[in-house]
Amino acid sequence: MTASPALVDHLFRHAAGQMVARIARILGPGHLDLAEEVVQDALLRALQTWPYGGVPDNPRGWLFQVARNRALDLIRRETNWRGLLDRTDLIETLTPQGVQDHGESVLDEELAMMFMCCHPALHPAARVPLTLKLVGGFSIEEIAGALLTRRTTIAQRLVRAKRQIRDEKIPLEIPSADALAERIDPVIEVLYLLFNEGYAAHGGENLTRADLCAEAIRLAKLLVQLPHPAFAPRLHALLALMLFQASRLPARVNDLGDLLLLSEQDRSRWDQGLIAEGFRHFDRALSGKEITSFHVEAAIGAYHAAGTDRAATDWPYLLRLYDDLLALKPTPIVALNRAIALAMVEGPEAGIRALEEIKAHEAFRDYYLLPAVLAGLEVRAGAMAVAARHYREALAMPCSAPERRFMRRELARLTDVKSPSARHW
Amino acid sequence: MAKFLILARDTGVRRDMSPESMQAVIQRYRAWTENLQKAGRLSLANKLKDNEGRVLKRQGGKLAVTDGPFTESKEIVGGFWVVDAKTYDEVLEFTRDHPHLEVGTLEIRQFHDFPAK
Repeated sequence: MTASPALVDHLFRHAAGQMVARIARILGPGHLDLAEEVVQDALLRALQTWPYGGVPDNPRGWLFQVARNRALDLIRRETNWRGLLDRTDLIETLTPQGVQDHGESVLDEELAMMFMCCHPALHPAARVPLTLKLVGGFSIEEIAGALLTRRTTIAQRLVRAKRQIRDEKIPLEIPSADALAERIDPVIEVLYLLFNEGYAAHGGENLTRADLCAEAIRLAKLLVQLPHPAFAPRLHALLALMLFQASRLPARVNDLGDLLLLSEQDRSRWDQGLIAEGFRHFDRALSGKEITSFHVEAAIGAYHAAGTDRAATDWPYLLRLYDDLLALKPTPIVALNRAIALAMVEGPEAGIRALEEIKAHEAFRDYYLLPAVLAGLEVRAGAMAVAARHYREALAMPCSAPERRFMRRELARLTDVKSPSARHW
Repeated sequence: MAKFLILARDTGVRRDMSPESMQAVIQRYRAWTENLQKAGRLSLANKLKDNEGRVLKRQGGKLAVTDGPFTESKEIVGGFWVVDAKTYDEVLEFTRDHPHLEVGTLEIRQFHDFPAK
């Protein structure tokens, strides 16, 4: 016996998405369940045999072949699927051609699947789980865990969305050049949500759910290969901003899993490979005339990624970027971030005033970050009692365990020590 | 050196497992097998097909052949390994951290050491 080759990370997950995409493309979007079933069968067969017989030399080819045979078998044997008998010739041609075990590979079918999962006719709340399930190869359980939503809720959304796809004949294809302008934004939105969901992690034990960030980046890399130059700058900007953010993931928490501020992070732990990749895509983002909010966000990320010395941070420059961002994307969250930059330029009182103006917004009703930022600014302004009140308010809202520990630590410092050292954001 | 058979019962396979967790299970078995191979102690590993087979029985002078055995999943022999070791204790050392123990049981049996003819 010889040692079997190691499996590439996430091979099953990615192969699942690719196989479902290819098979569903042949069977039609009305038969997503059948495509998923034969793919799951192929993976289960691997699970039952590879532990003993070893991993085959071409694992992806093996999986494709088993899934293909299973599909042929079901269609020929079961009366339910008789209507698909005319597709068997096409199914026989199914191979993992064009898919490699290493490096990035892109399949038209995967892109088509992304567009289908993010179709504007589908309920927005269904698009992210559907993309994770069909393109990402996540299980319902994993999606529920990643999105902090109940398993049954996710399952229901998926069932409804698939039924709608079947009933309304939502196509499984890459939109035509004309239609692309209105179809690309919902896809971008899903990737952006996916990344932020992974990055921000509003609940749970871990600060980041790195798998979601990685999946968003993988999908964005598929999307930038769309041969439509008009959208390229926007897509490269989106990818660049994700890469810059992701480069800091390893440094965001200390060994105990506690949250660290940008200023406290060990910059040697930032992932230089991701930063370099981010700058490559950022360059390409600037190749067109269009400036989107993603461009500005990427520019902010690029500034942090390039800097090595926090003391020299050019806050007036960052504030101008946040002003631009707020103009392009006037959301309460952007306004919150701008207020932090404003405080660094004009002092904590200016930041506090800006935050008080937006505090009543619906978006902040349950969002711990606003009172937490206010608390930090009040500390800098010397109002310790007010700061403590804000931390208590923030602690009463949902947030992740590391964020909670961070705020408790700060609160303890405020209440235990007479003159706490000033802290900066 | 003697030969031992390690039988894995109950495969622990659930239909709704995620692709990621299936891959993780395979990786753990693979790592275990590789360690044994590196030590030069593994002579065979294989798996018996589930839910099929033939059972033969002589009944009143007639041979009865039935499909099976269809045993309860706990009794299913998922697969087996044949390893070289000096004693049961040494095999126990190999199998103490076996990934199969997370889902099922292992049974260890020593081969009879018949003299070569």
